[in-house]
Amino acid sequence: MTATRHLLDYPRFLGRLLWMSTDGSWRFYTWMTVLTAIALVGANAWAHQLAEGMALTGMSDHVSWGLYIANFTFGVGLAAGAVMMVIPAYLYHDHEMHDVTLIGELLAIAAIAICLLFIVVDMGHPERAWHLLPGIGRFNWPVSMLTWDVVVLNGYLLINLHICGYLLYMRFLGRKPRKQWYLPFVFLSIFWAISIHSVTAFLYSGLGGRPFWNSALLAPRFIASAFITGPAFVIVLLQVIRRFTGLPIGEGPLRTLTSVMRVTVLLNLFMLGSELFTAFYTGGSHATAVRYLFFGSHGHHALVPWIWTAVALNITAAVLVHLPATRRHVGLLNLACALAFAGVWIEKGMGLIIPGFVPSTLHEVVEYVPTLTEWKITAGIWAFGLMVLTVAVKVALPVLSGQLAASHAAARH
Amino acid sequence: MPVETPLDRWMRPALAAGLLALGGCGKDQPARFQPPPGAPTGGETLHQPAKLTSVESDQKDALGRPLRVSCESCHSLRETKPMPSRPEELKEFHQGLQFRHGELACTSCHQANQPRSLHLATGEPLPMTEALTLCAQCHGPQYRDFKAGAHGGMTGYWDLSRGDRTRNHCVSCHDPHSPKYAGGHPVMPPRHPAAQGGTDTKEARGHE
Amino acid sequence: MSDILSRRTVMKGAGATLGAAAFAHAMAPLTEWSKDLTVDEFLQKHYKELTRDEMARILVHLKAEAKQKYGRDVDIKDLPPQEGVSFGYALNLSVCIGCRRCAEACHQENNHDRSTGNSYIRVLEMQQGSLDLEHGNANYDHPVPAEGKYYLPVQCHQCDNAPCVKVCPVQATWKEPDGIVVVDYNWCIGCRYCEAACPYHARRFNWTKPEIPPEELNPDQGYLSNRVRPQGVVEKCTFCLHRTRAGRLPACLEACPTGARVFGNLLDPKSPIRWVLENKRVFVLKEELGTRPRFFYFFDK
Repeated sequence: MTATRHLLDYPRFLGRLLWMSTDGSWRFYTWMTVLTAIALVGANAWAHQLAEGMALTGMSDHVSWGLYIANFTFGVGLAAGAVMMVIPAYLYHDHEMHDVTLIGELLAIAAIAICLLFIVVDMGHPERAWHLLPGIGRFNWPVSMLTWDVVVLNGYLLINLHICGYLLYMRFLGRKPRKQWYLPFVFLSIFWAISIHSVTAFLYSGLGGRPFWNSALLAPRFIASAFITGPAFVIVLLQVIRRFTGLPIGEGPLRTLTSVMRVTVLLNLFMLGSELFTAFYTGGSHATAVRYLFFGSHGHHALVPWIWTAVALNITAAVLVHLPATRRHVGLLNLACALAFAGVWIEKGMGLIIPGFVPSTLHEVVEYVPTLTEWKITAGIWAFGLMVLTVAVKVALPVLSGQLAASHAAARH
Repeated sequence: MPVETPLDRWMRPALAAGLLALGGCGKDQPARFQPPPGAPTGGETLHQPAKLTSVESDQKDALGRPLRVSCESCHSLRETKPMPSRPEELKEFHQGLQFRHGELACTSCHQANQPRSLHLATGEPLPMTEALTLCAQCHGPQYRDFKAGAHGGMTGYWDLSRGDRTRNHCVSCHDPHSPKYAGGHPVMPPRHPAAQGGTDTKEARGHE
Repeated sequence: MSDILSRRTVMKGAGATLGAAAFAHAMAPLTEWSKDLTVDEFLQKHYKELTRDEMARILVHLKAEAKQKYGRDVDIKDLPPQEGVSFGYALNLSVCIGCRRCAEACHQENNHDRSTGNSYIRVLEMQQGSLDLEHGNANYDHPVPAEGKYYLPVQCHQCDNAPCVKVCPVQATWKEPDGIVVVDYNWCIGCRYCEAACPYHARRFNWTKPEIPPEELNPDQGYLSNRVRPQGVVEKCTFCLHRTRAGRLPACLEACPTGARVFGNLLDPKSPIRWVLENKRVFVLKEELGTRPRFFYFFDK
């Protein structure tokens, strides 16, 4: 009986939230208008790319993946990293963190949306996506790692949608959430977050023909870097929310997330160093991609500025998060977060996907430079992701702060 | 039987289970095979290079193709002169012959009195059109490979039950007087020569 | 209060309308793209699930399309594999001179895009004394064979443990019973994972619609091989299956001026390919990857 009532009430509740999310200050409208404009530029570029062919990108048969897959990989890391708030909250009973884990889960939802879009724009025939549907299409599971990625990414999206929706709905109804309805999913989401990024790493590390990727360290590196970008983004996001909405967010979560970053930035640098040692000390043809990445080879140097920028950003961020001054000046912390975020974005994107293809499997050197079309589409997708995140946070906040509750709503009618 | 990797062994039951679970089992139609290749009905023919029965002239025909002159055009009218001792002494249509074939003399292959005919090492005469047998006397490994279909190239059908194939003759590719294969400039030049460093670099461009 | 509310609602409505209009405008280039996409094509089943009648209808449609576009009659066949036939290929590196005639023949036979000069074969000029591809170069443009070099043509190795087949998320590429790895151009989603997985640079993507002058079109076409490919799908060497499944030799072999190429049925003990495998010291490229190629190389001396 109650189940059927919730079946009707829950969508109505979501509808109400969405409608409410369209209200806001001039700042909100400006922000959303700017994002919409960027997203539309991206949509237009994608429509051209689909009509005229992917020749509009800088990719080639030698470098067959580029900026899109680089951003996809980074996005998966962001989604996995967002769960970093759940671990202290639920595994170590950090109560202050408990109140803001929802923000991390909303970030995961937005990040997964970005990832799925980056896959769609990378496809030559996105209209054939139905071929991936189990039963209807021909889903090559479990052999193809890409099908695992489809399963884990969509699963992660559903798990997080469920947790966020359920907790908000219960808060709205003024009821205490029932543990059996969300706790198993929370623990599942922790495991699942690790799995999405491991599976994404296995996409690359399972390819024997690409020595640069064919490393057992790839998945651990992915996880470590995910736990840099997730906390870095959330640290800044929490401050933004605190500033613009007045939601009381204590210093506790920021402190915890900074501690996490202190470990992961070093771990990430350590693993990068291990890879470099193995490549350079061994030498030979298997190290050519690393040589090309860091020093250029056969007179080609396109990635050299990228990777050294990434290394500089990561090292600076590592120093900053460990400086005692960072504990006192939030500005320094934010700078460290921004640097780490950008550093990992390069390291995991242009610094990881592209050198897998240069030199090619026949050791030909074909460089890759993203075209304007690719930059437009990439910017458009990120703008769309920020729109999703903004709406999601805006939807959640009135419920979290108790502004919107079933009792009030009933009173208003 | 190819060797199975452990991953295959692990993957196959997993794949089967996965497909069953997804209801994808049994979708494949039985393969529509064609009947097996039957007894060879087609045959192999040996390409007969024009140079065995004619010589080049400097003339062109009406279509602009190099004009070849059949041996018979002259030699049916006049007696063939005995073999000269060196290629430089050749006259008329045979002038300018370059000879680079080991330490051989003209008469190693040609009959001294009948240069239009060949002879085997035993001295047994051999018509020009059967030069292959002559080549085989010295070039055993190549002849062995040729007989097996692994030297010399061919056109037509791999499946002789469905058609014929033509084998190249030794002389189709090798000039008997200068047998080293000539080579030349490659076709399909690189489409996008490198901006710097010329074409002989490892760079390729474009979407190819 | 209600005035403000309604004004706000009107504003939101206006904003939403504007947004929708802008979105429609942004996506306008897709009208051109969707014109080429018929409902039948969109719903077409996987190659292995098509009945004979369905395939016959598709072939009729493809021929009509080719007639319309090129003004020529083309013959598109769907030749099945032959029972008792398993294809193998070998290449004699001692006699290959790197003239690239095989690559040229492939370009013409397989209806490749003319402007990119695409071909399934890439010939590497290698240093004598080395099998390290790092010392190879595909962009040589000088008389061949050059001193101190040998030439290594690379095309699809039709691996028995093919990484490209493993990774395809939709089974759009698979191994046929005669050993050929094929692609269903109407099922491929264009994710290019196979291109990343292939250790031999054997796969090509149609970055744009291939363009071929009508008079240069090869009208002898196969559904799974050399018919003109759509934009946005992956393609590869099929050992010219439209020829080889009809008993003929592949185009690259016929074009080879030095007879470096040997092709045939691995199951026929009297075939030239079997003779090569049994009598020459053959090797495969990157054997350590466990791909088990059907393309072999050998040296005479």
